[in-house]
Amino acid sequence: MSLATARQAMPLAPPTPPETHADSAPRLKVLIRDVDFYYGTFKALKNITMPLHDKRVTAFIGPSGCGKSTLLRVLNRIYELYPGQQAAGAVIVDGEDTLAPGVDLNLLRARIGMVFQKPTPFPMSIYDNIAFGIRLYERLPHHELDDRVESALRRAALWDEVKEKLRQSGLGLSGGQQQRLCIARAIAVQPEILLLDEPASALDPLSTQRIEELIAELKADYCIAIVTHNMQQAARSSDYTAFMYLGELIEFDETERIFTRPKQKHTEDYITGRFG
Amino acid sequence: MASEHIARGYDEELRKLNNTVAEMGGLAESQLGTAIEAVMTRDTELAARVVEGDVKVDQLERDLDNLAIRLLALRQPVARDLREIFSALKIGSDLERIGDYAANVAKRSIALSQTPAVRPVYALPRMAHLAQVLIKDVLDSYVQRDADRAYSVWIRDAELDEMYSSLFRELLTYMMEDPRSIGSCTHLLFMAKNIERIGDHATNIAENLYYLVNGTPLEEVRPKGDISSLEVIEPRGAP
Repeated sequence: MSLATARQAMPLAPPTPPETHADSAPRLKVLIRDVDFYYGTFKALKNITMPLHDKRVTAFIGPSGCGKSTLLRVLNRIYELYPGQQAAGAVIVDGEDTLAPGVDLNLLRARIGMVFQKPTPFPMSIYDNIAFGIRLYERLPHHELDDRVESALRRAALWDEVKEKLRQSGLGLSGGQQQRLCIARAIAVQPEILLLDEPASALDPLSTQRIEELIAELKADYCIAIVTHNMQQAARSSDYTAFMYLGELIEFDETERIFTRPKQKHTEDYITGRFG
Repeated sequence: MASEHIARGYDEELRKLNNTVAEMGGLAESQLGTAIEAVMTRDTELAARVVEGDVKVDQLERDLDNLAIRLLALRQPVARDLREIFSALKIGSDLERIGDYAANVAKRSIALSQTPAVRPVYALPRMAHLAQVLIKDVLDSYVQRDADRAYSVWIRDAELDEMYSSLFRELLTYMMEDPRSIGSCTHLLFMAKNIERIGDHATNIAENLYYLVNGTPLEEVRPKGDISSLEVIEPRGAP
């Protein structure tokens, strides 16, 4: 029985956290080590070192231009699509440096899924939006592909809303639904790490809550990094928070600590709205 | 308060919260002073004014609660701001209790004034004076956000406890020697206990201030000077 089916079969079961949840000790999934990043000659990240833990959510916060989205883009090397951008240092995922030359970028991006601020569904059916990525990496019989599409849509809490219209265009969905479609698309290829770049900033409050709820559920299976401008969202959704400013990591700590008694005055000024 | 928020209304609301705490504190302190004056001068009108004055302390606490709830709902405070509001709420409830104890001293002074004066009453102003000093010091340390000064209040409460224990023994002895004084002495005992409790609330405020400034609770064990709850006095003529 799949996890999704099991959840449906036991609607009244108490919401016990999976055993991999916050009670167990965190396991290091990614070590970002001495990372610098350049847009041409502009140094946008300066010597960043921090961990990302498996089955935990890490939030990157900081004012615009602080480098938080850039750091996210380093993790799956999506910056390489653009000329003149380069990273130095190491991003070690389960012991392997993903910044090293010779790393297969397609496989890397299958391991590290990404969802952007603005929903980016492909101009194709809801079904094909999900199946597209799976077909790139695997050849599956029809019924298995159907199962994978359903499972991804269920994990993204979208199945019940779209199961009757899988052949309709993904562009016809609401903004919140489109964003959940993108999350479903990212998890359909069974990644290990999910990168969310302001995933709820273009959504209304209810859709935002759905996305946050979804993040809380997905945490059981993935290592998640989220960039957000919404401080309350960082406080609610993450286990760890990294505060960045002008390309530097100012403070990294457990989220509860950052939002109750941060060590750095700079962090305190930012989260309490004293930043000027 | 730390440097200013980008949203200036936020600073204004926090300032109002702080001012309300300070106003409540000043009022609670003066209520205690007036209550003791009423005891010593056997002035029942003055005592009645203190009892009525407690309504004002209660009203200020409600104002404080409303301000804090509004800030929590509208500003979603974090870190130091959150501790400011959380501490103001807790300090407000301590000050409200201090006001209640002062009113109770005043109420008892009305009954006490109708009985002949007893000697131990003269120990009461000394206790009350120390309690007032503790309240004043802890409020000054609140205004200045001075955790060290608050810590010294926290330590000095032991002195008030000792004064209470000593008065407790004196009153018991007095009652044994002259059973006609039991009524007056019981009122005095409760008044002294009220003042001793006021000192405990001053230490609570000190603890809250320490947390507000440092972000961590004051975890030491406070020295206790009140041993009256362990006191046993043998009845006269016992073998």
